[in-house]
Order: sequence, then structure tokens, then C-alpha cells
Amino acid sequence: MGATIEIRNLTKRYGDVLALDDLSLTVHPGEFLVLLGPSGCGKTTLLRSLSGLETPDEGEIVIDDRVLFSSERGIRVAPGLRQIGMVFQSYALWPHMKVKDNIGFGLRVQKFPQSEIEARVEKILNELSMDGLGERYPSELSGGQQQRIALARLIATKPPVFLMDEPLSNLDARLRLDMRAELKRFHYDSDATTVFVTHDQTEAMTMASQIVIMNEGRIQQTAAPLDIYRHPANLFVAEFIGMPRINLLNAELDADAGSPVARISDFIVPLAWKPPVTELVVAARPEDVTLLTAPDEKALEFRVRALLPSGPELIIQLTRGDQTVVVRETRQMDLAMDQTVWIQFDSTALNLYDRRDGTMLRPEAGLPGRTTGPETTEGLAQQPQV
Amino acid sequence: MSNSAMESHRHPRVILERWFNQTKTLLMTPQIVISGILMVVLTYLIVVPLLQMTWRTLTWGEGDRRFSRQAVTGEMTGFHWEQAVSGPTSEAFLYEPLINTMITGTLAAVFALSLGAGLAWLVTRTDMPGKGWLRPTLILPYIVPSFALALAWETLFKSPQTGGQPGLFQYLFDVAPPTWLSFGAVPIVITMSIHYFPFAFLMISGALSTVDSQLEECAELMGASRWTVLRKITFPIVGPAILGAAVLTFGKTIGTFALPYLLGRPVEYQTLATMLFSSVSLGFTALGYILSLVLIVITVIVIWISARLLGGNLRRFETIGGKGFKANLTRLGVWKWPLFGMVCFIAFIAAIFPIGLLGYQTLMMVDGNYGFDNLTLHYWLGRSNPDIARGEPGVLHNTVILGDTWNTLRLAFLASILSSLVGLIIGYIVVRGRAGLVSRTLDQISFLPFLIPGIAFAAMYLGMFAVQRGPIPALYGTFALIVLICVVNRLPYSTRTGAAAVTQIGQELEEAAELQGASWVRRFWRVILPLSTGGVVAGMLVSFIGIMRELSLIILLITPSTRVLMTVGFRYAEEDQTQLTNALVMLVTVLTLLGQALVWQLGKGRLRRLKDRQID
Ligand SMILES: Nc1ncnc2c1ncn2[C@@H]1O[C@H](COP(=O)(O)OP(=O)(O)O)[C@@H](O)[C@H]1O
Ligand SMILES: [Mg+2]
Repeated sequence: MGATIEIRNLTKRYGDVLALDDLSLTVHPGEFLVLLGPSGCGKTTLLRSLSGLETPDEGEIVIDDRVLFSSERGIRVAPGLRQIGMVFQSYALWPHMKVKDNIGFGLRVQKFPQSEIEARVEKILNELSMDGLGERYPSELSGGQQQRIALARLIATKPPVFLMDEPLSNLDARLRLDMRAELKRFHYDSDATTVFVTHDQTEAMTMASQIVIMNEGRIQQTAAPLDIYRHPANLFVAEFIGMPRINLLNAELDADAGSPVARISDFIVPLAWKPPVTELVVAARPEDVTLLTAPDEKALEFRVRALLPSGPELIIQLTRGDQTVVVRETRQMDLAMDQTVWIQFDSTALNLYDRRDGTMLRPEAGLPGRTTGPETTEGLAQQPQV
Repeated sequence: MSNSAMESHRHPRVILERWFNQTKTLLMTPQIVISGILMVVLTYLIVVPLLQMTWRTLTWGEGDRRFSRQAVTGEMTGFHWEQAVSGPTSEAFLYEPLINTMITGTLAAVFALSLGAGLAWLVTRTDMPGKGWLRPTLILPYIVPSFALALAWETLFKSPQTGGQPGLFQYLFDVAPPTWLSFGAVPIVITMSIHYFPFAFLMISGALSTVDSQLEECAELMGASRWTVLRKITFPIVGPAILGAAVLTFGKTIGTFALPYLLGRPVEYQTLATMLFSSVSLGFTALGYILSLVLIVITVIVIWISARLLGGNLRRFETIGGKGFKANLTRLGVWKWPLFGMVCFIAFIAAIFPIGLLGYQTLMMVDGNYGFDNLTLHYWLGRSNPDIARGEPGVLHNTVILGDTWNTLRLAFLASILSSLVGLIIGYIVVRGRAGLVSRTLDQISFLPFLIPGIAFAAMYLGMFAVQRGPIPALYGTFALIVLICVVNRLPYSTRTGAAAVTQIGQELEEAAELQGASWVRRFWRVILPLSTGGVVAGMLVSFIGIMRELSLIILLITPSTRVLMTVGFRYAEEDQTQLTNALVMLVTVLTLLGQALVWQLGKGRLRRLKDRQID
């Protein structure tokens, strides 16, 4: 049912701002693709370009072999003819129309007979468990209900592509959790190709089948959620994804020793393979650092700077000289401030980055990994664990 | 992009296809088509008449042979300007009216502004009692036609010395008032000040109620003196509104026609507006146009200077303040009741007395006798009697006048609706066009009528639509032309109202409809229009009232078949049929008051609720 979306070399400028920078992306049928990135990185612009509400300066948009936009050929299909449904951050429900008229609007535009419109609206309201709300005005509904009406309006005309721009950001935290599950179910049932925009990484992780990380109008990485978490393609992604933040340590490669080690200020960390450059950044997720309360000859001595318990886990901030390392512990531990502890890095879980351009280094041929494109992701996913 | 892609980009076939597709897309985008049409129409209705009028002052026209035997119709000449500026009649035709206009306009604006500002402060920022009814009463003199105030003045101070029957003053005191008090500059300045002070009052009280009194209190707590607070906090916020009110009031006073005409004519005191009317009526078209241009240039200069002073653009003048904060009221203490008495006195003198006097005058069988034994309803209800008023029946029995009433309502209704609708569409394009070239141009063209005094506008249209031009028929003498000029004249306001209404509507509401496949017309009809009703209806009613009492804009264009109440009243006044004139003006006054009451009612009730829902 879902459609294939092809975006090729899309560029959009607002004055001096490059909102989209030569961006290419393919979305496969039925995928739930999440666009994730800091505020102002061009997510909304991309979505609006897809829907036709914004006209890019260059590039091409093709959905199921139908060219919707092409700067070269001067094609720009009107938004209403693109068969794309969109949920806005503000929901954009028409305040002067009853709920049933909001939902039935698109059907009315398509000249469906009145009886069928009513039947369909009734059915949709029922499916979203909102029977009996048809006669109300949007302002008489709660935030969650309004959100659902926006979804109901989206599916009424059964478009093969759904676009959603931060649809959950106006809900309070609890409702947001419920709606995530609901949206996932909604996507599963409708089977439409969905592009979902958010700046909330937890939301992206929990909902996406594919995540696209954007920054400054460019795609940083496209991959499945866990891939992105485990193997961030560059330092931007590494820092952006993960809470608490990943540990990034500046290091020099010391290849003179028998096995490769990274020298970080006054200590060294053994590496599982030998990177091709000497100026490195060593990246370790807080859960990939093991904490010991007794000295060990391979462990490094640190001091506890802060303890941040949060129920199921404990976040510990450690220092040694001017280095700071954050550790996540799920074990029950009895630590005190300023206590001396020892840590060990899991060398197989470490990611290495080239400090000059921030790209991830990969072991196979010793070539620096490229940052964008699905090929990279596949390569990362198959990265041998040495 | 790769090299081959770049090359294919330049391939002629590709260029042709791109051009074809782009053109097709543009032509299928209704906003663009509508913008284009509006550009052409507005240019034709505003810019072309202006240019044509200017051109006419530089060429010989049809009847100009009587001025000079060298006149060849259509040829260029400096004759008209030369005559106007340095000819033997220039003193009487240009300089004297110019000086008179500047004197009366400036004085009236200054008085209106001081009075308006003082009252605004008293009514919005102090604990004076009776605000509920003082506010609407103080606005009355602006709601009634300026004409009515002139008539009331005449009724009070006329005397057989200057021609006509004795006024109330002479009847009561048995001495004729001095001529300078009956006619000329003094009464013009006083009545104009009375007519326009409510305008300044409205603008300034709007601004005053947006000054957060917490700001002021804060400064006072920090040790600033009262005066410093006023200078540093209150004035910078209210200042622009005061300057704006000053400019707008001056713009209005110099363009006012009927009032100086009635109070100046008997002593041959001419202003630019009355001189313009006389010259056009007498067929001195080019001279009339020169006077129009002079008026327009003065307005433009004044607005330009104040814009420079404000350091912003012209738009800032139009910010008539919005909803206020909870303002803390200044306690007047012992001054409370004396000041209250004074404000009541002003309200009485400016609003209640003139209207009452006019009403009373319509009940007098013989003009000049103010005794109760002279009262009659003849001028309202009487049948035609050849001995009274040359056989004119009472206004409520006069089928012609009932027809004129119908014309008035029809004109006001049609023109205000059309103007609001067009204004909404232009406002839409201006707001949604995101300051593109087209939307900016439209914005500016629709603002132009603001700079053209009504009587000059009419003179322009007289030249423009007197004869057939291409496919456009000669509209002179048709009702359509009167509607048209009213619509165009209101555009600066209705476009602003429309733009404000569209700004309130989230763009996404419309985009959601667009994505559902709704055409532009459908979107406009189903989303924009319903959601802007609140603001637009209010603006429409204001236009309705304005058009109903409009005189200077249409007096030059009216023919017997298109008469409206105001122009009939004007003709009666010219014939010195005072009771009938006053009766007609009372009729217009009552109609406008009803309209105004409706505006206030709507403002409180349903529309407010509708608006609240939109904002939600
Ligand atoms: N209509 C616009 N006019 C000017 N700049 C814009 C406009 N829309 C977006 N931008 C700019 O383009 C960039 C991308 O914006 P946007 O796509 O809204 O980001 P996001 O949705 O990721 O927060 C930002 O720098 C923003 O300021
Ligand atoms: Mg956004």
C-alpha cells in the first residue's frame, strides 16, 4: 500500500540560510522513517517540500515514479494533487467546523456522496475510540483528543504517504508516551509510508524503523535505531544520540607498543585494532565503561565527582586530572562523593573517530568511513567485532 | 551536481520544457492570477486616475478655448500652472485658499488633539466616574456628519446681517452676533475641532490603555519622579499614537469640504477643498486638478515628515491600540468632581447640544422663532403645501427622499461589503505573499487613496470616467461609479482590517485544507472567510457608517438619479431650506447612530466570542 519516496539533491535557501543542502534520501514503502535533528536543521523544510507547501530551489521529488517536483524540468505538482497527508505540530484543526466536518472535509472535496462521508467519519471515530465526539468543536476537546482528530482527518482520504511534524510535542509527558504506542499501532494498521519529524531522540528511537539524523540541512546518518546508537557515523551523531552523552576522549595513537593503544593525557587505553590515523577521538557509551571499587592492574584510577541516581540506574561522573568520564551503572552500588574508583573501557565497544573531520574510523581496509548514505550504514552494521 | 547534469540543464529542449511547466504552474495558481488581476484593476482605479489628473494639468482640455485662443485640445502647455501660480487670479484661487487651509487645518488639528488627549487621559487612566456613558457620548461629534456641526453652528449664530433668519443667539439676546463669529475662520476652526477631537480621543485612549501601569509603577518604586515616569515611560509608548493622531487629524481637517463650505461661503472664506469644488463645478477643471494635487502633496509631505520623525514607516500610524492591561487608575482626589463636571460640560457642548438644537430646529414652522408656539411636525410629516418650503413635503412623506434613503443604505451596504471583501483578498495576498514584490506593490497601491482627500478623489474620477475609454464605459452618472469610488476610497482601511484578520489565522489551517485538495476558492470560502468574520464584520460596519455620511467623496459625482441623503441635504442647504436640511442630517445621524450601536453591540457579544474561539 505505502509508496516509495525518492528525494534527489534537494536544496532550499532562505536568504543566506541553507535549510536543505543537496539532500538525497529514499523512503521505502511502509517504512516509518523518523527525521531527527536539532531545532533549525531543516526537518520541517524537508517535510514541507515533500508536501508541496514549500518550493525547493533545486532537486527532484518522486513518489512511486510520479515526478512531483523537479527544478530542472520546472515541475511542481500542487499540494492537493500529491496524495500526501500531513499532521501539523499545531494539529491545524479548523476551529469553526465540527469534528465530523473536520474529518470529512477531504472527502467532501473529493465529492464523495454525503451518506458515504458520514459512514466513513463514523467508522474512523469508532476505530480511534472517539464515538460521539463528531458533533463537538475542536476547542471542546482535550489535547489528546485533538491529536486523534488530526490523525482521523489524515486517514479519512487514505493517502499512501503520511507526514507528521512533531505531532506529539504539544502533549504532556504521560500522554506523549500513550500516543507513541497508539501512533505505532496506527501506522501498522494503515501501512502508509510515514515520515515523522521530531527533535526528541527517545521518540525517534522508540518509533522508527529507520532514523535519519540531520544537521544544517544535511543528512548525517541513515540507519536503524540501534545501529545509530551503536555506531554513530560521525562525532555529531555520537554526541547527539544517547542520554547521558557519550564519552569523547581526545587521544593519540601509540603504535610503537606491540598492540595498538590510545594515549589519553596520562593514561592509555588498549585498542582492538590499529586505526590509520594518529589523531583520534575515542568514544565510549557510559554503559560500556566498567566500574570497579577495588584496584586492578588494567584499570584506571578515577575520583567520583558527582552521583546522579535515577531509580533503575545510577549515573556517575568521574574525574582524573582534566579528564571527565561518565559511567552508567545498573548494579546496586554504594559509592560516596570523592571516593576513588577504577574503570575499564570495553575495547570492542569503543568507536574511534578521526579528529580532523570527525568521521568514524573502520577497521577493515583501514579507510576512513564515509558519513552519509545507506551503504555506509550497512557497512557499519556488518562491522566485524574483533 | 555532476557535469552531465549541468549540461542537460542547459539543453534547449529542457529549457523549453521547464519554461512551459513553470508557466503552466503559475497560471494554475489562483493566488497569482488574482494578484495579477488586482494589480491591473487597482492600477487602473488608483494610479491611472492620478496620472491622468496630473497630465490634464499639463495639457489643453476641451473647454479651454475660452481661456486662450492658442488652446489646442490635447497639446501640452504650462498655461494652467502658470495661471495658478503667478496669474492675476492666483491670489484668489490658490494662495488665499492655501493659507486659509493651513491656518484652519493646523489650528483645528491642534485643538482637537489637545482636547482629545486630555479627555483620553481622564477617561482611561483616572478614577473619574461616569466613564461608561461618557465614552460613547464623547465620540458622538465624530459619528455625526461634519456637516451637521456646521449646520448647528449656523442655527446658533446666523443673523439677518449675513443673510437669512436670526439664529438662537440673536433670538435670546436680541443682538446680532459679530460676523466673524457667525462665519469664516473662527467657526470653521471651532466646529472642526469639535468634529475631530473624538478621533484623537479614540486613538490616544487606545494607546494609553496599552501602557502597562506596572511599568510605570515599577519606575516610580525605583524612585523616579512622576514627571520622569511620564517622560521616560508613558510618552515613548503613547508618543507615536499622539503623533499619528496629529497627522491623521491634520490630513482630515485640510481635506474637509462640507463644513468650511457652509461656514465660509457666505463671507467668501475659501479653503483648498471648497475652492476645488467651486472650480470643478464651474468647469475650471485644470485649476481644480491643480488644487487637488496641492492637497495631495501637502498630505504626503506631512505624513512623510512624521514617518521620518517616528523613524519607522507609515504603517505605525494605523496601530490603534489593542486590548489593554489592567491599568491602575490615577486618583484625582479633590479634582475628581470639578473635572467630571468639566468633561460633562464638554460632552454637552460638543455632542448633545448641537444635535438637540438641530432636532429642535426641524420642528420650527418659521425659521428664527424659537418659541414653543412655533413648533410643528410639518417638515417631518407634512403633506406638500405650496406656501411652505416651496411645496416640499415633510421628509418622511417625501417619496423622493424615501428613495434617497434607500439609495443611501444600498450604497453603504454594497460598498462596505465589496470593500471588505476586496480588502480581505488583498490583505490575504499581502500577508501570505511574504513581502514578495507583488504583495508589497499591492499593499502600497491600496494605501494610496489614504493620501488623497475625498474631494480630490472625486475630481480625479470625474476626469477618468466621464467618457468611455476602451472597453470601460462612461460610468459618470451611474450608481456603479458611486459604489466604486466608495469601495476604492475605503481600501486603505479595509485592506488593513483584512490583513489583520488573515494574520490571526494560522497558516497551517489553510495548508491543511490545501493538502486535502481544496482549491483556493474553496479554502478562501470555507476557511479564511469564516475565520476572519469577526474583524471583517466590525470593519465593514465602520465602513458602512463612514459611507452613509460621506459627502465630499461623492458630491462631485452625484446626479439626480443617484442622490443620497447627504447630497440632498447639501442641495437643501444651498437653497437655504434649513429645516429640511436639518431634518435630513438628523435622519443620517439617526441611521449612523443605529449602525454605531450595532458595532458596539457586536463588539461585546457574538463577534467577540467568535474571535475568542479563533485565537484558541
Ligand atoms: N519561512 C522561512 N523564512 C526564513 N527562514 C526560514 C523559513 N523557514 C525556515 N527557515 C530557516 O531554515 C532553517 C531550517 O528551518 P526548519 O526546517 O524549520 O528547521 P526544523 O524544523 O528542523 O527546526 C532554519 O535556520 C530556519 O530559520
Ligand atoms: Mg520544525
